[in-house]
Amino acid sequence: MATKDIVLAALFAAIIILLGIVPAISLGFIPVPVTAQSLGVMLAGAVLGAKRGVMATLLVMLIAAIGMPILAGGRGGIGVFMAPTTGYLIGWAFAAAVTGYLAERLITPEQTGLTQIVYFFIASVIGGIVVLYALGITWVAFFTGIGLSKAFLGSLIFIPGDILKAGIAALAGRAVMVGYPLLPQRA
Amino acid sequence: MDIRFEDAEVRFAGRTVLLPVRLDLTERRIGIIGLNGSGKTTFARLINGLVRPSKGRILVDGLDVTAEPDAVRRQVGYIFQNPQNQIILPIVRDDIALGLKNSRLPKGEIEFRVQAMLERLSIGELGGRRAHELSGGELQLAALAAILVTEPRLLILDEPTNQLDLRNRNRVLQTITSLPQQLIVITHDLGLLDGFDRVLLFDQGRLVGDGVPADVIAQYEALAA
Amino acid sequence: MKTLYAEGDSILHRASARSKLVGLLLAGILTFLVTSIPLLIGLLVASALLLLSTRLGLKDLLRRLVPLAVTISILCGLTMLLQTVETGIISLLRLTLLLLVSTAVTATTAISDVMDEITAAATPLERLGLLRAADIGLAIGLVIRFVPEVAERYEVLRDAHTARGIRPKTLSLLVPLIILTLRDADEIAAAIDARGVRR
Ligand SMILES: Nc1ncnc2c1ncn2[C@@H]1O[C@H](COP(=O)(O)OP(=O)(O)OP(=O)(O)O)[C@@H](O)[C@H]1O
Ligand SMILES: [Mg+2]
Repeated sequence: MATKDIVLAALFAAIIILLGIVPAISLGFIPVPVTAQSLGVMLAGAVLGAKRGVMATLLVMLIAAIGMPILAGGRGGIGVFMAPTTGYLIGWAFAAAVTGYLAERLITPEQTGLTQIVYFFIASVIGGIVVLYALGITWVAFFTGIGLSKAFLGSLIFIPGDILKAGIAALAGRAVMVGYPLLPQRA
Repeated sequence: MDIRFEDAEVRFAGRTVLLPVRLDLTERRIGIIGLNGSGKTTFARLINGLVRPSKGRILVDGLDVTAEPDAVRRQVGYIFQNPQNQIILPIVRDDIALGLKNSRLPKGEIEFRVQAMLERLSIGELGGRRAHELSGGELQLAALAAILVTEPRLLILDEPTNQLDLRNRNRVLQTITSLPQQLIVITHDLGLLDGFDRVLLFDQGRLVGDGVPADVIAQYEALAA
Repeated sequence: MKTLYAEGDSILHRASARSKLVGLLLAGILTFLVTSIPLLIGLLVASALLLLSTRLGLKDLLRRLVPLAVTISILCGLTMLLQTVETGIISLLRLTLLLLVSTAVTATTAISDVMDEITAAATPLERLGLLRAADIGLAIGLVIRFVPEVAERYEVLRDAHTARGIRPKTLSLLVPLIILTLRDADEIAAAIDARGVRR
């Protein structure tokens, strides 16, 4: 693994951690913390690509696991891996992987700005919403016994906020690509 | 150490930033001067393989830098133009110890050497501080400590007094003057070069001056005028 | 940065990090095998005693427990309403129990000890050639170093917006923040290579 990949992942992990401190985008009342942190996860995939994006999210999880209160709302410690919302946390790695993979496949430098933004949006929605929710909902359902369909209905409240985040991730992902392209190209 | 440039040339994205150089550096105190963007940093980075030559090669004590960068880097310490980027771990003491991690020394011995190094540079009180809080001068000394602790035989300093106040500048000057190692110093602070054995002058990627400090500095002043 | 480790010399503080982490994992698995409510209550009391044995202050305990406790209560309350009351109660007991035990482990295990366990756990992956265990510690050290720097840069960017009369918005802050931050990667990677930290 190249040293630069480690550094990029570490820098992005720091950005994700910071996004947990800045004021949250608050929507709905269900107690899954809604912060800009999951926006950071979509961006990790969109900006760094799959491999380094996954590394960035894994680093954030490791730092939480060793006992630093760096997740939104000051959560941290090994307990965050034994909670009903753990699926949404572990899901970050999969979200970044899928967002990054799709961004690498779909986006090329020759496309118009609008096309790129649309593709970044699609990648963020599939990775950061579809995949993340699939894991998060399954975990909640299993851990609480509430049942898949009801856990699914309950989490619908968060979808509008996350679509907004995917939009921000798409615009920011494309703007970063113009200013400092890092996304690995796949033929 | 014997640093030999064999027609080394550097191109970045098709633009030549360093024209072929052929020379042999063996002196104990070597200075590098030139205008901004003239290629000083690029030239110095060739010596430890951070920049690779597009043509030609560089030999350090007979080792080809491109082929064996690790072997060369074990002997060549490099202090970056912006030492901020060179601090790796958050706490000064941990960062200095990092360079010894591969040495297989016992933990106690590493701690001892780190403390001794801090004291040698009279920054004993900085050991427990967070690197990102340090002032420019403190940072420069902390970065120097992190490199010196690995006992390199050659030390390359890229503008070591840039950003320093007069007191810290003199402190750094005094520290580097007293070092037993071979030194290569890139600088715009021409007073640092007093007593140096040899000075190189770069202009637009070309080595245009090479000699004793007084002559080359005069040439630089004429060029900048 | 702050940590959730609280210094002390209780029995849990003195236990090895590995035994605590393995114990926690076993507790997690066992808890989900138990379905008897009285037994779960007994286990819950035991884990409360375990947490109290760490001698954390009341305020500190609340600060650590409340956020997740709220989440757990709401989710289990919903489960009681939407499924059966029994399912909801069992979940509530299980999840609270795990919250108490994991809080006790986190509060009594120093960061460096958990790090050592993670590195040890990664060694088999190293043998498979997937990663270098030492890189994990390096990467975590880098992140901890970068967080205050990125935070500072965020403040500076916000001030720069205000100074130019632009209202700071997530998007217009995020883009320069990411570019400015990632741009350092080349130099920092070069420094790591120059210092021979990864060999
Ligand atoms: N990684 C790079 N990619 C492209 N161009 C580069 C790169 N590094 C340096 N250059 C260019 O090479 C030229 C020489 O740069 P160098 O950093 O060696 O100059 P310098 O003499 O050290 O300048 P200064 O006194 O400002 O530090 C400059 O024009 C610079 O823009
Ligand atoms: Mg330079």
